[in-house]
Amino acid sequence: MLSACKQGPKIIKMNNRILKASLVLLGTLNVAVPAVNAQDYEEIISSGTGTAGPEFNFMGFGDISYISRDGNNNDGFVIGQAVAHLSAYLGDSLGVFAEVSATGKDSEYSMEVERMIVKYDFSDQLKVSAGRYHTPIGYWNSAFHHGAWLQTTISRPEMVKFGSKILPIHFVGVLAEGTFQNNSLGLSYRAGFGNGRHANIGRAGDAGDINGDKAWMAQLQIAPDGSYGLAAGIGFYSDEVTPGDRPPVKESTVSAFAAWTRESPEIILEYLFSDHESVVDSSDSGDVSAWYAQFGYRLKGDRNMWKPYARFEDTDVDNTDPLLFDQALDYDARILGVRWDFNPYAAMKFEYRNEEFDNAGRENNFRVQLSFVLTKL
Amino acid sequence: MLAEKITSVCSCLLCSPSFRLTESMNICFNILNGISRRAVLATFAVLAVVPGMVSAEGTIEEYGGIAIVVHKDTAVSNLSMSELRNIFLANQQFWSNRARIILLIRAPQSDERDYVLNTIYQMDEAQFRQYWIAKMFRAEVPRGPKIVFSTDMTRDLVVAIPGSISFIRADQVSDAVKVVRVDGKLPSDEGYPLK
Repeated sequence: MLSACKQGPKIIKMNNRILKASLVLLGTLNVAVPAVNAQDYEEIISSGTGTAGPEFNFMGFGDISYISRDGNNNDGFVIGQAVAHLSAYLGDSLGVFAEVSATGKDSEYSMEVERMIVKYDFSDQLKVSAGRYHTPIGYWNSAFHHGAWLQTTISRPEMVKFGSKILPIHFVGVLAEGTFQNNSLGLSYRAGFGNGRHANIGRAGDAGDINGDKAWMAQLQIAPDGSYGLAAGIGFYSDEVTPGDRPPVKESTVSAFAAWTRESPEIILEYLFSDHESVVDSSDSGDVSAWYAQFGYRLKGDRNMWKPYARFEDTDVDNTDPLLFDQALDYDARILGVRWDFNPYAAMKFEYRNEEFDNAGRENNFRVQLSFVLTKL
Repeated sequence: MLAEKITSVCSCLLCSPSFRLTESMNICFNILNGISRRAVLATFAVLAVVPGMVSAEGTIEEYGGIAIVVHKDTAVSNLSMSELRNIFLANQQFWSNRARIILLIRAPQSDERDYVLNTIYQMDEAQFRQYWIAKMFRAEVPRGPKIVFSTDMTRDLVVAIPGSISFIRADQVSDAVKVVRVDGKLPSDEGYPLK
């Protein structure tokens, strides 16, 4: 604007030919702009009033990583999960959500229906749905899960990793959820009932409950009005698990989390405790405890594309645990990294990890990831 | 002579500290990108003398703040700031009569949007985008808010869509929409939280 002011004398000398060209452009604008808006009006009114039929929305996530590990000959590029979301309103209160992933394996891609949810919204206080979910235990499993771009770090915490056996990542059944009315705490709930784990305990019971003893879960969460950005919750999960090669085990899991979701800083704390007891012999029992603490800070001003972060993790499985004692799940890690949001829909992350798996000695690795989201927003 | 007169008007407007580009001028900039600077400035000069197309604007506060507007039939006349935030965050998706709330948000690069992101959402553009993507990812909403491109469009759609809620500058409110009190106050009241 200031430079325009300085050029004032030059502008005064502008000739009539340029003015004529400007008038032509003005005429073009007067025709083109209302035409675009009319289309927008029509689309928004028809979808807002529900006269347009189902309205489909697509969203996709993907990531590509380079991983370098101590003493590993398989270092290289890794295609992460390619994830496609499709959601739609089938009326004022009925919605459908589907999520499909393709995951690169050694010699092939495996396709998976990650989520398939049909939900009816009675009100803000009661929404009932059926389908396949990310089990609503804790925070990360439902907040980020397959969305690598959404999460600050390159990968999930070990306790909720892809195919985790620590907790049931997916759940098939029915779920009721909602917020309690007029509460300044922002108290909300989720309660679910459905199939427990499959005989392969890393998978959900997609084709029915393996032992007829259904799983159930409940979670309470607060997001206080007075502390905008804070969320905290507790949850409980219960099931009878029947692994393919051993007697059934009663599983009871409690979880707790607190998350400060504003980015400067970002703090996520999550803890999980799981008790396993053999159905055949109650003295045959053991526990699992797992936690992580993640800290991030989005820099201010011109450097706000950068977000340094750190995460500390620990998973401890009793040697006597009847379900997981032989799964080599003990783990601890210290992770340092930085996220660079170089584009509104894509991010690069650079991460150093110092980890120990099953008390087998510490190892270092360095990872770089490019992650992106495809969306209209 | 005409050219000189028009460009003088343009120069005056450009020199005014309170001058802001309206959405019409933003559209001009986009469409005229690549055409000579003189041609762009001349077009703005012409726009400046067409009534209703361009106006010299102040800040949102100078125009009485932001009014929260809803469809006339919506059974709400007052919202607390925290209720308003929950509606704009889509944590509350239904009105008390169980009609679904349709949220209309101005497109980026409007003063009204910047003001609402700053005061109600307390987010920048990047955080706002990530918030809605995460919301859709968690299957809490099947879509993001509906985007509108001008004050006229906002008013027209609020009139046309039952259950809709949006925001416009307080001095641009018309009788066709209902203005909702925020914390018991209208935009004209002292202590109104959105000005």
